[in-house]
Amino acid sequence: MDQVTSVQECADLSEDQLGVLERRIAGKFMHIVPWGAVVWGIGNFILWLSLWPLVLMDIIPVWLAFPIATLNVMLSYLPSHEAQHNIIAGKGRPLRWLNELVGHVSTIPLVLPYRVLRATHMEHHAHTNDADLDPDIEVSRRSKLDFFKQSLLNRQPDSSKQDVYGATMERLGLSHMMIDALVFNAVYLLLMFTLAWSGHAIEAALLWWIPKQIAITYIEYYLSWAPHTPGVEKGRYRDTRAFKSKLGNLFSMGMQYHIVHHLYPRIPLSLTPAAFRALKPILQRRGCDLGAL
Amino acid sequence: MQHIIKLFFSPLVFAIGFLWPLSAQILQSVPLVQSNMTAWILGALIATAFGLMAQFRGSWIWIK
Repeated sequence: MDQVTSVQECADLSEDQLGVLERRIAGKFMHIVPWGAVVWGIGNFILWLSLWPLVLMDIIPVWLAFPIATLNVMLSYLPSHEAQHNIIAGKGRPLRWLNELVGHVSTIPLVLPYRVLRATHMEHHAHTNDADLDPDIEVSRRSKLDFFKQSLLNRQPDSSKQDVYGATMERLGLSHMMIDALVFNAVYLLLMFTLAWSGHAIEAALLWWIPKQIAITYIEYYLSWAPHTPGVEKGRYRDTRAFKSKLGNLFSMGMQYHIVHHLYPRIPLSLTPAAFRALKPILQRRGCDLGAL
Repeated sequence: MQHIIKLFFSPLVFAIGFLWPLSAQILQSVPLVQSNMTAWILGALIATAFGLMAQFRGSWIWIK
């Protein structure tokens, strides 16, 4: 048996049998190179980059480029996320270079370095909803309104959130990787200052600074808050939930099925809806919070 | 070295390096401000006010 269609079908299975069945079903969605994410990651970055000469040479107006840039920056995280989980190619595989290329390149618009993201994200997976060890817990334990307020406050110079990733890297003995964050932010600021003082401050604001602020809130909302709120339960089947987004799966960046990602992080994002449908009776039997899906 | 890095990433440097020219260029693009000089002076005032608030209060928006 490698599929189930109802909770009743798996009701008589022992825990061991259920585990075997669950892994067998999930396995069918793994070890598939997500070429869409590869094209998305590199293409999205090239598109965002191309907006700069197009705007600075007055080929397209900045008001038109602004929503495109915002969309680009909002979409820049997930391809790197696939790479963080070695979904494109694991260590020692022929396409490993591509995995790392996508990981490094796609988050440049967000000014977030791949090595730091990967290390802190693995901690989020290992310690989901742990108040002391989950670096992304800050936004989960809040009401929706409070999330938006906190997201804004987290970006203030004195916010404790500013140190969370640094502290996580220190705890992991990976402080040396914070040099990536230092270099990323230094280059970002130097570019912003240079553009601003050469007469292109509005372009810099509308192609990078403001899109980055919008994107951070959007990504935090759909990747951290929505799948993990209220952020109190721990355990494999309880620390993440499925949810029905008013914006649909596409505009919530596929995060409706984030529970599948936490259970089987090697399943590509594009296959999580199908994996969710295949696993649903088992997840119901496990007592997972599947929202209205 | 640490002091230089801290200074470079400080809110005040961001205000001078980015917010000042940004404010000035926005003011230049609206018909309310007559001269470029006025736009740059007003831009400096706006950026400095936000920069000082962020530097010493720790928040760009007062609340924290």
